[in-house]
Amino acid sequence: MPGSAESLHIQQLVELMAVVSSSTDESSAVQHAVERSAQALEAEVAAVVFDGKVAASIGFPLGAAPNEDIVAVSLHERDVLDVPGVGRCPVATAAWEGSKPGHLVLARWGEPFAIEEQNLIRGMARLLELTLTMLRTLAAEQSIRESLQERQRLLEHLFTIQRAISRREDLQQILDTITLGARDLLGDEISLLWLRDEDDTGRARLASAADATGILPGSALTADMADAATASQAMTVGDVVVRQGGIAATEVVSRFGRGPVCASMGAPVHDSGVVTGALVVASCDEGRVYEPSDVQTLRAFAQNVSLALTDANTVLRMQQAHHDALTGLASRRLFMEQLTQRLAMADAEGTTVAVLFLDLDRFKDINDTLGHAAGDQLLTVTADRIAGQLRAGDLASRFGGDEFAVMLHRVDGPGDAAAVAGRIGTAVGKPMYVAHQRLRVGASIGVALSTSGRTDPVELVGHADLAMYQAKRADAGGYALYDPAAAHPNTRPGAVRA
Amino acid sequence: MDVSGEQEPGRRWMGVGRSHAADSRPAAIEAAQGALSGPDPKLLIAFAAITHDPQAVLAGLAEAAPGVPLVGCTTHGEIGPGGPADGTITVAAIGGAGFQVQTCVATDVTGRQGDAGFEVAGCVSRVDLPHKVLMLLTDGLVRDQESIVRGCYRALGAGVPLFGGAAADGWRMSGAYLFKDGRVLTDAVIGVAIASEAPLAVAVKHGWRTVGQPMIVTRSLDGRVYTLDDRPALDVYLERLDAPPEAYTDPAAFTAFALSRPLGVQRRSGVEARNLSTEVDLVGRSIGGGGAIDPGGLTWVMTGDEESILEATDDACRDALARLEGHAPLGMLTFSCAAIRAVLGDDGIQREGARLDRWAGPLPYAGFYTYGEIARNHGIDGFHNQTLAVLALS
Repeated sequence: MPGSAESLHIQQLVELMAVVSSSTDESSAVQHAVERSAQALEAEVAAVVFDGKVAASIGFPLGAAPNEDIVAVSLHERDVLDVPGVGRCPVATAAWEGSKPGHLVLARWGEPFAIEEQNLIRGMARLLELTLTMLRTLAAEQSIRESLQERQRLLEHLFTIQRAISRREDLQQILDTITLGARDLLGDEISLLWLRDEDDTGRARLASAADATGILPGSALTADMADAATASQAMTVGDVVVRQGGIAATEVVSRFGRGPVCASMGAPVHDSGVVTGALVVASCDEGRVYEPSDVQTLRAFAQNVSLALTDANTVLRMQQAHHDALTGLASRRLFMEQLTQRLAMADAEGTTVAVLFLDLDRFKDINDTLGHAAGDQLLTVTADRIAGQLRAGDLASRFGGDEFAVMLHRVDGPGDAAAVAGRIGTAVGKPMYVAHQRLRVGASIGVALSTSGRTDPVELVGHADLAMYQAKRADAGGYALYDPAAAHPNTRPGAVRA
Repeated sequence: MDVSGEQEPGRRWMGVGRSHAADSRPAAIEAAQGALSGPDPKLLIAFAAITHDPQAVLAGLAEAAPGVPLVGCTTHGEIGPGGPADGTITVAAIGGAGFQVQTCVATDVTGRQGDAGFEVAGCVSRVDLPHKVLMLLTDGLVRDQESIVRGCYRALGAGVPLFGGAAADGWRMSGAYLFKDGRVLTDAVIGVAIASEAPLAVAVKHGWRTVGQPMIVTRSLDGRVYTLDDRPALDVYLERLDAPPEAYTDPAAFTAFALSRPLGVQRRSGVEARNLSTEVDLVGRSIGGGGAIDPGGLTWVMTGDEESILEATDDACRDALARLEGHAPLGMLTFSCAAIRAVLGDDGIQREGARLDRWAGPLPYAGFYTYGEIARNHGIDGFHNQTLAVLALS
């Protein structure tokens, strides 16, 4: 389960999307975005600026918004905004491009916006851009498409997809839903979603595929961009591309039809504002001609793909900030956040939290002798072994280098915590194969238990750290319990145990 | 302009009166007379038990203070010097040349909460002393009170703090009343622009903490939570708390159990409590009550105890008085949550009262147990559950 700061930002993006994407027109979407972004950042002021004009703002008395100042903030010409009755407020702004470029501006009394908050604001601006583009597409769609029934079907499809995105359903399922929805609504037999291969930009990966029978199981197919010509053209042009005829049998799309493919259409998809693939539909019907309304429909579905990808990757980036990239364990920051909460809870409940601080023996030697790759492998295996000894609700973290910390909740006393430390020591100390060598790496573990009325997480980790050095010095059994009497602020590690 | 009470005694004053009499009209007269402790009264704020006859209360107040603007509401208990009480009429009055007061009311609020908030905020434009606050009294049985606060914010912007509470009806949940001059109102919002020569300070605190891992709100609409983690919200909530079997099937048992266990929604500055105890649907297995919980968000079960709640009482008073920028306080309005009362019990609320007494010292204070508290200094939100909201006047 994500940590609180991370989950807060994810939640805020989800809430913004849920509210903004339920808007039925551009002005209400902008107004919702303004209010919801101010709420999320606990900001006094939020505004959206289009073409040098404030389209919506909140935080100033009616009719008294300093629009010129807000525009100046959006252009980075000012870094504070004077808010009557509040004072000079630090600002943050994020811009978006696309068919209708704009800026989201926020101002908040007190401390300037933190880096991660600025990232969140950029994420919000991207979601707003995609939603506004989609609403414009729908407006165009409505003016073109005559059948009310068909329009209703499109709206229902799009609503289902947006709900799925905002409910954080599995990304692959969302992409499959969009691919299938595009096929159904356009009445074609083939629908393919191509994404640029992350390792080789000359190739594309088939992220989702539907033929006349429905969604095809994932094949992880990759192809040269030349063999995904419709997608490739749409990505190059940056807009919908229509091909009537001239589709080679060697193109991947031709494998999915019941006969030669006669027409194809592709729309680019974006991740965080960058073209990253294309949604393609194709037909084997010789009479298939794509109308302007078809172009708009495909565009709407492609924008949903962009929304899903941007959202998923924003979440991923936030998660990465809270997890150690190598081992996948909690980061030090997340660990300390969770420990803070757990200690407060334990103090209230009258239960005990234990922290184990673990340092690998001889890690530096192995890193120096066998190389960093071997060292990384060793750390990954160790992390898995530590995590394997924990109950749900306990938390393991890589603190940095070869240091790990573990939080055990509701322990029954020193004996309970020591037993877990013993189990971890045994598990970590088992032989492992790294860089074609059989290695045995021990660990020194310090154990410290929370005491009633003391809820400082830094102090508790410090105690476990000191105990770890006692364990290293004692060279007995691999772990030591924190002993206040033995602790000395200048305690440093003794000879490293081999 | 900054003319403190010490420089010119009587330029601003606050008084509080209370009557335990059962007869509504004389009780109102007695309470109002007790509150009128200075010249040039500008506003009476009356908190009356739901057991009183509202029309008789208004008649008594009008008799005791003819021509003085009056606002007020029914309660789930009245707060004032001498401790919290039931069945009383408790009246606060402010006055003196150093205060300005304007009032405004919006009716037929349901379905247009935002517009109603926007309308009542209009009274702020009619006061011009340097320190302002908009006090709101709302009907606690109206849903989506956040939108009322948001409507005020749209009109006023960030510069005017908001303070207030939702009228209660002694847990009957059948109808609370608002008082505005000679009128008894339901489905209404009263706005009171209070402006002063000296600082007015708002503070709010809650004493709850989160328990265990968060749940994802997978379906919610209009203040009701239908599913948590894609399962019926009622069952997920009760399972998390190892609730007794009767809470699953008996609405009264559910309410009693859930009152002390709100759901928390995360905000940048901390987790806010949402009381979901009052509108349980045992058939649809959904929960609802005061305050919105958005779909897609994370929520926690929260618990608190007397100690943590009383610490919040201290924190709110300390914070409000500290925000007076060194000016001598005249008194406080203290709006506490009806659900907190249920957690603390009758003895506990006396200890809450003792804490308020200690902070107030010789100064008057008054308030009530509400169905929702309003307090906003920063940001655009200001509707709370399970908190103590304090307005300190100087």
